[in-house]
Amino acid sequence: MLGLDAYHLSLITAVGISVGVALSLNLITGFCGQISLGHAAFYGTGAYCAALLTKAGVPFALGLASGALLAAVLGVVVGLASLRVRHDFLAITTMGVGFLFIGVVRQQDVLGGELGVSAIPDPGLGKAGFALLCVGFAAAVSAFSVYVKRSWMGFVFDAVASDEDTARVLGIDVPRYKLAAFALGTALAGLGGGLYAHNVKFIAPDSFGFVESITILAMVVIGGIGSVGGVVLAAVVLSLLPQWFQFIDDYKLLLYGGLLFAVMRFSPGGLAGATRAVLARMRGA
Amino acid sequence: MKKHVLMLVFGALCAAHVAGADTLKIGFNAPLTGFAAADGKSALTGAELAVEQINAAGGVNGKQLELIVYDDQASPKEAVPVANRLIEQDKVNIGISGSYSGATRAAAGVYQAAGVPYISAYAVHPDITRSGDYVFRTSFVGEVQGRAGAKLIGDMLAKKRVVLITLKNDFGKSLAAGFREAAGQFGVNIVNEYEYSIKDRQFGPIVAKVKSDNPEAIYASGYFFTAGPLVSQLRSAGIDVPVIGQEGYDSQKFIEIAGAAAEGTIITTSLDRDSNAGETRDFIREFEKKAGYKVDMVAASGHTAVKVAAAALAKATSGKALRDAVAATRLVASTGEISFNDLGEVRKDVQVQVVKNAAWHHHSTISDAKLLAPPMK
Amino acid sequence: MLFLELFLQGLVQGSIYALIAIGLTLVYGLLRVLHVAHAGLFTLGGYLGVLVTNASGSLALAMLVAIAVVGSLGMAIYRLCYQPLLEKPPFVALIASIGLFIAMEELYRLIFGPYGMSYVQPPLQDVIVFAGLSLKLAELTTMAIALAAVVGLALLAGRTRLGLAWRASVTVPQMAASFGIDIVRIRYLNFFIASGLAAVAGVMVALLNNLVEPTMGSVPSYKALAIIVLGGLGNVRGTLLAALALGVIESYGTIYLGQLLDRDAIAFAFLIAVLMVRPQGLFGKR
Repeated sequence: MLGLDAYHLSLITAVGISVGVALSLNLITGFCGQISLGHAAFYGTGAYCAALLTKAGVPFALGLASGALLAAVLGVVVGLASLRVRHDFLAITTMGVGFLFIGVVRQQDVLGGELGVSAIPDPGLGKAGFALLCVGFAAAVSAFSVYVKRSWMGFVFDAVASDEDTARVLGIDVPRYKLAAFALGTALAGLGGGLYAHNVKFIAPDSFGFVESITILAMVVIGGIGSVGGVVLAAVVLSLLPQWFQFIDDYKLLLYGGLLFAVMRFSPGGLAGATRAVLARMRGA
Repeated sequence: MKKHVLMLVFGALCAAHVAGADTLKIGFNAPLTGFAAADGKSALTGAELAVEQINAAGGVNGKQLELIVYDDQASPKEAVPVANRLIEQDKVNIGISGSYSGATRAAAGVYQAAGVPYISAYAVHPDITRSGDYVFRTSFVGEVQGRAGAKLIGDMLAKKRVVLITLKNDFGKSLAAGFREAAGQFGVNIVNEYEYSIKDRQFGPIVAKVKSDNPEAIYASGYFFTAGPLVSQLRSAGIDVPVIGQEGYDSQKFIEIAGAAAEGTIITTSLDRDSNAGETRDFIREFEKKAGYKVDMVAASGHTAVKVAAAALAKATSGKALRDAVAATRLVASTGEISFNDLGEVRKDVQVQVVKNAAWHHHSTISDAKLLAPPMK
Repeated sequence: MLFLELFLQGLVQGSIYALIAIGLTLVYGLLRVLHVAHAGLFTLGGYLGVLVTNASGSLALAMLVAIAVVGSLGMAIYRLCYQPLLEKPPFVALIASIGLFIAMEELYRLIFGPYGMSYVQPPLQDVIVFAGLSLKLAELTTMAIALAAVVGLALLAGRTRLGLAWRASVTVPQMAASFGIDIVRIRYLNFFIASGLAAVAGVMVALLNNLVEPTMGSVPSYKALAIIVLGGLGNVRGTLLAALALGVIESYGTIYLGQLLDRDAIAFAFLIAVLMVRPQGLFGKR
């Protein structure tokens, strides 16, 4: 593709998956205001489901779709929890779901247990083809996000996010929209998981733990909760960071943690919020 | 001595002369940040030492070795672009993993597909070498060490009632599998098995249960940072039967953590501290000088992997020919005499070490080729 | 006998959880902030405990130094990190706290090295045998400290003017302020006590494991969140009960449920089950 070497293609692939998955969380947390600290569980569900199916000989596309579906089913179940608990409690509940997910996967020999799943078959698209598929995934999720944001559904999501009780008083079926946000967001995360599994070709429980959930959440909040452009930018930058920062090796995670802290501390609206503030000041001046 | 200095100066001059122009490149991925950084650093220091030694002695066929190092955070996700970068951008002749199983397994597929040989220094996952014929491993798979552990307990120490305390990860699980497989052969009866997670440091409940099981020996898998607290807690609960561990214990840190309780702990590993072999003694001395701390198994593994790579590079520098050269390796390295089977798994003796006077020392050597035969497919 | 030993070991673990979680619940009670970086302070306590004990030979001195340094750092974190974020939605402070925690872990690794540190001559290693049950002195001390902390907090809150002001600031902050209570001072005090308790927990855990590592706080940080929710956020007594109960359940779980569920997942399985039935937590009031 465009004469890029395998290294750049592997970066593009990773970035494409990250963008799609970050936007999938943005649907739930950004648009609908339901904080989730366990998104990697859905991403992992998709990865495991797709990997095990294609290993059993199921075609790649069908494996991906099944992974997305299973993740969505799980997502709706967790979404039911969001009807019962809110805010901080929801954050901790979803975190619990994440820990429970890897806790269970670790113990199941059917799922590879601690050894994970290796030798996941190559989808046969070639490195360039696969990179293109992942970029397509990212583009499709971006377009979908923009579409949802402008639709009636996006409007309702916004109402639920800013004041759930008022939305209810206005006669909006809040539970239905919350479940819809969870179903859509987790299905897309599951799809991203299937792509990840067929990119790395090896999955193990550790790849879908709390750290991964935080990584995804960081992309959303650093980009700016709810902002499609901001989240895309943050996902691109944060997933390239470890590669770019090879030269400052030792300080990489320190910088990452510091960045997360600094953005929240000084610009809770993320990159998007900061940009808006700067633009507003320029217009004012 | 003077001769050595001259050689060093000469080596340095040569290095300056050929700098960047015509070196043989070895790609190296290791966790230099994150939870596994301690092992990553040790493996890297061991590998750097090997490169320095080889370059000081004139390099490989007159060419200097160059180690190109990237951090993979022990994460499969990061390991894939790192492997691609080493192969495509840095054009390395051969790759070495100084990393854990997940990252190594993910990178191995990339090396295999690109037709660049890849040597795993100490990752234990059984599927690593199954990535294909370009992937090799210079350390034991878990099963082999588990079988050696069964022989050590059942045969050499003649203890029959054994409790397994298994670390819940690929390392612990495959050790336990190997141990169970060979247990019957040596009349070992596994009374009970308990599992713990790599994050556990408090083993109170397991210790209490083991005490009531009253075993003759304990086969406990783990790393120094889990095994140190475990052994010390077993001893302070009054359990004084032998504790048998593996290469994960193999660090001076284990003894620092467990203190007096460490005395008498026996492990199967691949580095013999009291070895008479020049290569091993030389490595231990030079490593401790360079690193400033006591040698460990991971460092020796990084060192060994570079030596294997260099020996193969002397015969061929790329592709199939280099792969065949690695496969045909016959070499005495710091971790013993190395050769590979058809799958790319190492064949070497298992070293048994014991803690005496707050240091690791020679206990015995297990060289039963049949028992220690690594998997063939 | 085994049943009792497992129970006792569960109480030891539960006491550690309690020391960490009580501080967390104090912070939540006053500020409604989920203070993940609390576990970073716990780790620092462990490092200070080892460093000072190794240098001076006195565990008591190490404990005091750890409390003073970590307590002050806790106050600084409040001032620099949480205070400016109190008006923002709750997730902002939560994520800032997670970022701070990651950065702290990395700082410890860079400063103290990746290998961890141990007491050269760990104190309190004697084993006490009573009625066939054996317990290390360090384990007994941990339980005693946890108990003392809860009793001390109860006395402080119930018997002193300061405690009255404190309780008022938790329940009705605006009214407390209008009655002339210096809410900011109360918050500083709150952070000092919470962080001091975490420091003590760090020193004791470092002693029990004879090891401090940069990542020592990673399990307690998230498990303590589960505990304070189960305990009914902001409720000290509930938190103590939840911590002890979790310790005991994990102790039996390690032996009898080991094949089924990870020990670290037990807390969260429990948490989710409880929240679905009682969204306000086990001991929380509606």
